[in-house]
Amino acid sequence: MPLTLRNPLAAGLVGLSLMLPAGPATAADLPPLSHSLTTQPAKPAPALKLKDTDGTLHDFAQLKGKVVLVNFWATWCPPCRREMPSMQRLKDTLAGEAFEVLAVDVGEDADTIQAFTSQLDTQLTFPILLDTRGRTMREWKVAGLPTTYLVDKQGRIVASAVGGREFDHPELVAAIRAVLKD
Amino acid sequence: MRRLTLSLLVAWPFAVCADAPTLDPETGLATWQTETGGVQVRLTQIGPDQARAFYQARGFSAQAAERYAAECVFMTVVRNVGDTPVEHRLADWRYLHQGKRLPIRSKTEWAQIWKQLRVNEAARIAFDWAQFPATQTFAPGDWNQGMTTYRVGRGERFELQFVWRKDGKTFSGTLQEVQCAADAS
Repeated sequence: MPLTLRNPLAAGLVGLSLMLPAGPATAADLPPLSHSLTTQPAKPAPALKLKDTDGTLHDFAQLKGKVVLVNFWATWCPPCRREMPSMQRLKDTLAGEAFEVLAVDVGEDADTIQAFTSQLDTQLTFPILLDTRGRTMREWKVAGLPTTYLVDKQGRIVASAVGGREFDHPELVAAIRAVLKD
Repeated sequence: MRRLTLSLLVAWPFAVCADAPTLDPETGLATWQTETGGVQVRLTQIGPDQARAFYQARGFSAQAAERYAAECVFMTVVRNVGDTPVEHRLADWRYLHQGKRLPIRSKTEWAQIWKQLRVNEAARIAFDWAQFPATQTFAPGDWNQGMTTYRVGRGERFELQFVWRKDGKTFSGTLQEVQCAADAS
């Protein structure tokens, strides 16, 4: 599902920052998003204590008892931008369940992030946290953007995804629901 | 026999065009893609103007952005389309240009250049994450993208030899006749 923008000028700027062909689908178009989650032996998630774009401090430890999707991203990362609306749709799909989404941005400020999110047709209601110096990403052993982890109710990483995903794909939703039932 | 001949005739155009680029109709920028052994590799040209604009928007001075844009830049995508994990190490990749077999400039090498050019920390963080990762394990379905650079002149061609490890064995593939974007791109 393509990322859509309200403003044609903004769309042009996004096209430039993506540094990839914009416009109608061509053979040279953006690489497709995947919809797999790779399960892994459960291991405790590292600490994560960061401020969001409004300056509110979030401590990951306080989310124990919930399944959390932790997504590391940046506005200049093309697949990160593309998958962001699908994370909101996932959150909406699982509304009312013990599930949270946290997006952790690397190296950017709140203004830059808000300039991007304001262009989206989808309003993002999950917190976007600022890892200004990239320390949290190193602690989580993120090698490339985007990288996403699924953390279970005990605070353990149980699955991961490297590269852009369509997070509301039925297979991915089913995989998360399975962790919610554990 | 006749069926085999027909099959070969049908397959032939695809076989010879395996590394033929696709062109973006708006920008004219080209993409090369190949798939082998469960690994898909794609290189898309990034023009010097785009490279300069991207890094200057992230805090690079004009001089530092020019230094980066002086090299041939490609958006690089690696995807595990197989069913077993794949290990990637950019240091194993080589490109062939004018009879030389060259390694891809590492992020560590770039870091030295940015130190000399006094690039600020925020810009260096953005740079690090925008490059293709030095090492990474791709589970089935995983993929990543980032920039790679080549010391190749504008419009010149090279052959990329990409390498990956799977089940403890080393494999390689090539993208042939990859062409550096022209100045006007």
